[in-house]
Amino acid sequence: MLEIRNLTKIYDDGTVALRNVSFTVPDREFLVVIGLSGSGKSTLLRCINRLIDPTEGQILWDGVDITALKGDDLRRMRRQIGMVFQQFNLVKRSTVMTNVMAGRLGYSPTWRSITNQFDEADRKRAQTALKRMGITDQANKRADELSGGQQQRVGIARTLMQEPKLILADEPVASLDPVLAHSILQHLESLNREDGITIICSLHYLDLVQRYSTSVIGLRDGQVVYQGTKKQILRMTDAEFKSIYGEEAERMGGISGDIAADDEDSAGEEVTG
Amino acid sequence: MSQKVQTVEEKPSLVPPVLTGLLSLVVPGLGHMLARQFRKGLVLLLVFLSAAGLWIWRVSDAARREVGFTAMFKKAIQLQPILLIILVVLVLLYLLIAYDAYKVAAKAKASSFLLWVFVVASFFILGWQIGEIRPAVLVRDGKNSLPLLMRVLWPWEKALYYPEELLIGSADVVIPCTENVEVPPRVVEEGDPYVTVTPNCGDLSEIAGAEGTKLRMVGSNFAPNDETEIWWVDQVRNEFRYRYGGEYVKIVTDENGSFEMDVIIPYRVIPTTGGKGYAVWQVEARQVASVGEPVLSEELKLSVEKMIETIFLGMMSTVFGVILSIPVSFIASRNLMSANWFTKTIYMVVRTILNIIRSIESLVWAVIAIIAVGLGPFAGILALTVHSIAALGKLYSEAIESIDHGPVEAIQATGANWLQTVWYAVIPQIVPPFVSFTIYRWDINVRMSTVIGMVGGGGIGYLLIQWIRLLDYRSAGIAIWFIAITVAILDYVSSEIRNRFV
Ligand SMILES: Nc1ncnc2c1ncn2[C@@H]1O[C@H](COP(=O)(O)OP(=O)(O)OP(=O)(O)O)[C@@H](O)[C@H]1O
Ligand SMILES: [Mg+2]
Repeated sequence: MLEIRNLTKIYDDGTVALRNVSFTVPDREFLVVIGLSGSGKSTLLRCINRLIDPTEGQILWDGVDITALKGDDLRRMRRQIGMVFQQFNLVKRSTVMTNVMAGRLGYSPTWRSITNQFDEADRKRAQTALKRMGITDQANKRADELSGGQQQRVGIARTLMQEPKLILADEPVASLDPVLAHSILQHLESLNREDGITIICSLHYLDLVQRYSTSVIGLRDGQVVYQGTKKQILRMTDAEFKSIYGEEAERMGGISGDIAADDEDSAGEEVTG
Repeated sequence: MSQKVQTVEEKPSLVPPVLTGLLSLVVPGLGHMLARQFRKGLVLLLVFLSAAGLWIWRVSDAARREVGFTAMFKKAIQLQPILLIILVVLVLLYLLIAYDAYKVAAKAKASSFLLWVFVVASFFILGWQIGEIRPAVLVRDGKNSLPLLMRVLWPWEKALYYPEELLIGSADVVIPCTENVEVPPRVVEEGDPYVTVTPNCGDLSEIAGAEGTKLRMVGSNFAPNDETEIWWVDQVRNEFRYRYGGEYVKIVTDENGSFEMDVIIPYRVIPTTGGKGYAVWQVEARQVASVGEPVLSEELKLSVEKMIETIFLGMMSTVFGVILSIPVSFIASRNLMSANWFTKTIYMVVRTILNIIRSIESLVWAVIAIIAVGLGPFAGILALTVHSIAALGKLYSEAIESIDHGPVEAIQATGANWLQTVWYAVIPQIVPPFVSFTIYRWDINVRMSTVIGMVGGGGIGYLLIQWIRLLDYRSAGIAIWFIAITVAILDYVSSEIRNRFV
């Protein structure tokens, strides 16, 4: 279980990206973070694996405070948390295989990994990950020769090498067309359902949110303004929508406010302050 | 920008247009300043003053010896009419500035295009005069030096050397015939060429007078069927070639290597006899006989040796430059050095030092290095290394600064440590630019090493400048050919490497 307590992040230039954010993520959850650009989604995800150091607050991962970890402890924690990026963040000039093997670095001794001596078990793992993502035949190509969808699969295969308990996905499909977006999210869904990996994912399109999430939190100006379960998301009201995306926001597609208003259970709990 | 122009046009000139123009005639540019175009006025003032100053300098330079300006001016114009043209352009410029000031004050919308054309033209003509540009000289002297240039362009006659041997046989001649003079007999080894004259004494010719004594000269043991020159050596060992009727005398030996001919004792201006009343001269037969097969000339061999030295000079300085500039580039990268004020200070200091080093040319560094370690390739290597460190340090650090931070974060997020992150995310990104900058620098270093010898830093440049100074254009041509060939090969190789790696 991941528990975020009173998390605040103030950047060096004074930007308050997160204000007193608290929520919990039970194991095996597919949590989607929504919010406008600049609302603090990336900051939140990066705080969880400490690519960014939070200013205040705690992040408890099975009872261990991630914010207090340093050095080897921090790296041991990081290797259990996979991360998938919008821009894939592959090492473009390296092969797909090398990119995938890089996911194992947290488990490998420095010298052996630098001299490219991974053990047999790691190589098997890589084959399995590539196969699962359907990119076995691309293994020896350079990463930048692949299409966007293939590159993102390499990104996921890299996190699979970590045998993660949690995957952070920061807008994993924002650079992809809708068909590929579904394909990538289905892979994440299968990891969530079949392997029991907790997923925290930021997304922009509400239809994707409604299709894949098991629960949702909405951020606005660094504050949590919405929390809902899968049921509640399907019946998100216009008022809730506007609390996340602002008064001027127009809702398009998805489930209409009318249907949502009919249902008594519809109201997601709104968190203020 | 457009707003500025607007405000200028809104506010009227401080003085009426005509006065503006007149004031501009007093001080060029003053009119514009008063018409609220201060910056343009200042630029025009500085332009006019510097052009006029340069013109005065050139006039006094052209007529150094004259005193007083009028005399100088007259002489200078006479020597270099172009100075008069410059004067005309400057006067026109002066008038145009005033006219432009008037137009500006009168808010006429005419452009100042012509004014700026004259500004550019005046400096161009000044440059022509200062640069002593004389295309006629190029055509005239170029034509005359064509044979010399041909030697540079096709120097290969000097690539081979035909080994030769000088065969000399000589005999003593006593002048004039004197009693009781003991001339020691010549000792000639068996088979060596020798010469006899009969008689072995006589009188000199007189200038435009009677001919001297005719001697019978017999030579043997020379190379057969080959030209033989006759030389005289007087009592003070002055050598001069024997002429008859104004022509140098040559005789061709027979198939046995012998010859027989008459020679007449020539005249000599300097007194022939000292206190003794006689002098002993020698008459010599000389043959330049080629022996053996042609071999590569010394010049060619030297060029090859020095070219190899040159290539290695460029290579070693590149290797040292790369090795030393890699650590430098890391501390000169903003993104790696922005952690705190201390590292930022190091970054600033290193960057500044690199910029200073880079702004001094390699040739100047070579002169400095020679002071430290003396003439030779080591000085050249030092100079090119220093310059390479500065240039590569900057290029490398810019490559490091421009890497994509995404993969670095992604690798960090897998739990990799610092070294693993650098190895997996940073190095792959900087290898291509590093390789390409290194090849680029290698290219520059080999080119530079061909000229660094001209100041004494080793390599082929030393030979080249020496041969040019000795007017040995063929040898210089050989050196130039080697440089051109090497640079062409280098170009090809480096572009191949670049295609492979980048
Ligand atoms: N390194 C930084 N330094 C200063 N301010 C930052 C930095 N990174 C982000 N911010 C600011 O923090 C706020 C939150 O940014 P964040 O990237 O977390 O938003 P986001 O929800 O991920 O937006 P997007 O959907 O555009 O990715 C924004 O106002 C942003 O300008
Ligand atoms: Mg973001």
